[in-house]
Amino acid sequence: MALLEAEQVVMRFGGVVALDNASVDVDPGEVTGLIGPNGAGKTTLFNVVTGLLPPTSGTVKFDGVDITRAGVSRRSQMGIARTFQKLEAFNTLSAFDNVRVAVEKNHRAKWKHQRVNDVAHEMLGKVGLDDVADVTVGTLPTGSARLVELARALACRPRVLLLDEPSSGLNEEETTSIGQLLLGLVADKDNDLAVLLVEHDMSFVMGVCARIHVLDFGKIIAVGTPIEVQADTAVRAAYLGSDEFRGAYVGVDE
Amino acid sequence: MIFGVRHSVAVATTLGTLAAVIIAVFTWKGAQVTSETFLVTTYIGLFLGALWAMYATGLVVVYTTTGVFNFAQGAIGVFAAFFYWELHVNRGWHSILALFVVVGLFAPALGVVLDIVIMRRLRTASLVVQLMVTVAIMVLLLSVVGDIWEADTARRVPYLFGINNGIDLGPSQLPWHRLIVFVVAIAIAVAMRYLLRRTRIGTAMRAVVDNRELAALNGARPNVVSSTSWALGSMLGALGGILIAPELGLDPATLNNVVIIAFAAAAFGALKNLPMAVIGAMLIGLLRAHTVAWLDFGSDFRFAHLSIAPLLLLFVVIALPQARLEVGRLVHHLRRHERFTKWWEGLIGCGVIILLAVAFSGGWLDFGIWDPGAWGSRELNSANEAMALALIGLSLVPLIGWAGQINFAPLAFAGFGAFVYLKVIDGGWVTFLGLDRLGLDPQDIRDIDNGYWILLVGLLCAPLGALVALPAARLRGLYLALMTMAFAQAMSLIFFPNPWVMPIIGTGRQFPHIELFGVTFDDRRGFFLLLMCVFAVVVYALVLLRRSRYGRRWMAINDSQAAAATLGVPVVWTKVVVYALSAVIAGIAGVFWATVSGNVDSVQGFDLLIGFNIVLLVAAAGVSIPVAGIFLIFIPLFTGLGHRLEDSGNVDFLVTLLDIMTTYGPGMLVLGMVFNPRGAIFEMGRGFSPILPWRSDARAEIAAENAQKREPEIGELGIERPFTPEEVIAIDRRLGILDEVVPKEGYGTARS
Repeated sequence: MALLEAEQVVMRFGGVVALDNASVDVDPGEVTGLIGPNGAGKTTLFNVVTGLLPPTSGTVKFDGVDITRAGVSRRSQMGIARTFQKLEAFNTLSAFDNVRVAVEKNHRAKWKHQRVNDVAHEMLGKVGLDDVADVTVGTLPTGSARLVELARALACRPRVLLLDEPSSGLNEEETTSIGQLLLGLVADKDNDLAVLLVEHDMSFVMGVCARIHVLDFGKIIAVGTPIEVQADTAVRAAYLGSDEFRGAYVGVDE
Repeated sequence: MIFGVRHSVAVATTLGTLAAVIIAVFTWKGAQVTSETFLVTTYIGLFLGALWAMYATGLVVVYTTTGVFNFAQGAIGVFAAFFYWELHVNRGWHSILALFVVVGLFAPALGVVLDIVIMRRLRTASLVVQLMVTVAIMVLLLSVVGDIWEADTARRVPYLFGINNGIDLGPSQLPWHRLIVFVVAIAIAVAMRYLLRRTRIGTAMRAVVDNRELAALNGARPNVVSSTSWALGSMLGALGGILIAPELGLDPATLNNVVIIAFAAAAFGALKNLPMAVIGAMLIGLLRAHTVAWLDFGSDFRFAHLSIAPLLLLFVVIALPQARLEVGRLVHHLRRHERFTKWWEGLIGCGVIILLAVAFSGGWLDFGIWDPGAWGSRELNSANEAMALALIGLSLVPLIGWAGQINFAPLAFAGFGAFVYLKVIDGGWVTFLGLDRLGLDPQDIRDIDNGYWILLVGLLCAPLGALVALPAARLRGLYLALMTMAFAQAMSLIFFPNPWVMPIIGTGRQFPHIELFGVTFDDRRGFFLLLMCVFAVVVYALVLLRRSRYGRRWMAINDSQAAAATLGVPVVWTKVVVYALSAVIAGIAGVFWATVSGNVDSVQGFDLLIGFNIVLLVAAAGVSIPVAGIFLIFIPLFTGLGHRLEDSGNVDFLVTLLDIMTTYGPGMLVLGMVFNPRGAIFEMGRGFSPILPWRSDARAEIAAENAQKREPEIGELGIERPFTPEEVIAIDRRLGILDEVVPKEGYGTARS
């Protein structure tokens, strides 16, 4: 049984069907990719999984427990953490304080015996933001603010980490180091961590993901290893109908 | 989600009906209900409902099309009603002509001017700034009315076509005026509904509020659209004011309070649904008319029928489904580094406050005409009132300044604090609870140091704050603002006037002089010093709190509720806690406020407008910074200075100037928030901090900003001369960013 399962999720906004019986499962110990063209419903799925949107129908299960009706902060305490595609960092707080808000809330349950400040520094260190710890996040460049969100999510000590386009706003070098960080985190058996990654940078996705779900117009059109997905004709058709899947897609990136 | 949609509606309806039945059973007058009296009452109710529907329609139209909830809607009506009186009654113009000039010319012009000068710039502003600015406009309009049409003459706005002409209904008469009001109100609501749903401009209006840039690209002109909305909203407000004035009388405060009923009606339609808002208005009208006709609340609750609207608002708020936490609205951009005062800086600051206070009251500082050494009891009273108000203002700092939640009821909390204090120190409760049998004597209670009782007052105020916030905390911030406003009104209508709450006994002092640490502060100068010290202590506590995990969490929910929730922060509970804290500070401040004058009049005299002024002044000062509370000193400072100028036979001009500053100051200051949302103290701090020896960071920031302001030298750009206009066009064309590509009124102009 997978750690996180979204089953037959339907999300309707008025007449628009953003998710149409989409099912996604995420296992610990690996990075699972979720790709698809713009407007395919990736962020909507994240919102449903984290509880920001109540789905029209379908269920979300975490560790075998149905959490479809659970509140946002309850899910966070259970071990679901996320970052946002459009930034939701605490702009008026420093990077350090952003992370501290998360640590303080999960201090007793998840960071036993460790001091808040130590954990916060450790998390900032992991994403390489030690030197801007005291800078107000609102004044940081977008890429760094994205990393603050990642550090904040890690500070919740999650069992499932949902990342919404972590590489946008980062340069190639930074993207690579994020990839290394993710692979390191899931490889560590102590963490027992599952990562669900939404990403537009195809080389990044193909490089770190063990399995990939492809979403198109709210439907899952393919699931498989990076090689299987790249060979899938439905996936190729979804991406601009082009044979040159990889090349065509990279250009679409926002 | 705590409640499903249907579930919460059912709960609210049941609670509401139950409350109505219980109240009706206990207060039934016993008058006989005949079909005639019932019908007449119903038609009065429908007529009242129609008037409020007109206001509510204006609110809903402006809110759905611009996203700004206009607290000044009622004040526009007040101004229009007085203007109409001036033209029609005072100058003898024909009523139709006067009506046309006010509603057809003046009101739309006012709406357009408001939009161009102020409202457009509020589109991306925070809810706090949006609300503060519309409240400021309300206060300013009311001040203008008070200045032009002084309260010393009695005025009446006549009914259109007179009160005696109309249709005969048997037991009574339906004047044309009322019939017309009813028909016009319904017609307007239908027309607005049609306008928004079926016409091109209406579609554009709704599109612009959803996504301005996208709508602009599709040919809508956002600026034209928002000006149209404001013109329409302003016309509806003006018409409502003129038509309601014959019924309520031409009194600014009474006319303005109508808007609270309109708020409740609008909330009934979830602020966006026009037909439901009209139904809500009718419901309130019917309830009000039948309550007055059949129920008798007794003299203790003589204003109870006025609290129907606040009550309805409460039930609507309970019925509304939980709001979704919004994502993707955040603008990730701050120009300046955010710096929190360090603990030792706070200590120095508070020390300076206390030293200044000592020097002040000791008379060692000479301020010329405002010389504290020469203060008489009147000036000292002003100063003490100011400090008590400043303390009340501090209660808003964590709430509005940090958590970004609105509270228009600081005075209601303060008054409640004063009430609890009055009851607690009296010792009557000892007998009431039967504790005297255990050997406790009420006299012992009166001997206990007041400090303990003040702390107890604080503790007892916390649940009240939580209770007020609880129903609305799961909704959008606007509902909390409306709830606190309704709460403030309900308290001043039902609670404070009740003789049991604050009995007026004789002429003596009802709130005794405060006794702390064995010292009785019965001297005004000493009390001033005490207030300054309490102020400094609370400021220091806030400085520490802002640096604590609680302060961080509150600022986090202000920045992004969605993100805070995904980190495990329980957003609703967090908001409730901040309200409780705010109520504690306000309640304790209320004790000092009541003690300044010593009688209960001062608390009973609290009205909504004074509350607004306090909130406005604190907001304008920079509500996120604790010392901003001290700005409230300006109110009595100006009045006190005015007194002294008058006494010394000084020039009238200065007195008038001070008068203007007192009446218009708060509103004008808040309008400054449109351009500088952080407030005055923040800017002053920026100017002041580079002087402090340890603030090298502030000096560096100023230097960096000055460097940025400098135009780059031509050579630095790698070219030898500036581009000519032709070259600029050529480059634009090559890059494909020529102006023609982007619609003129769209993206580019919106940002500039």
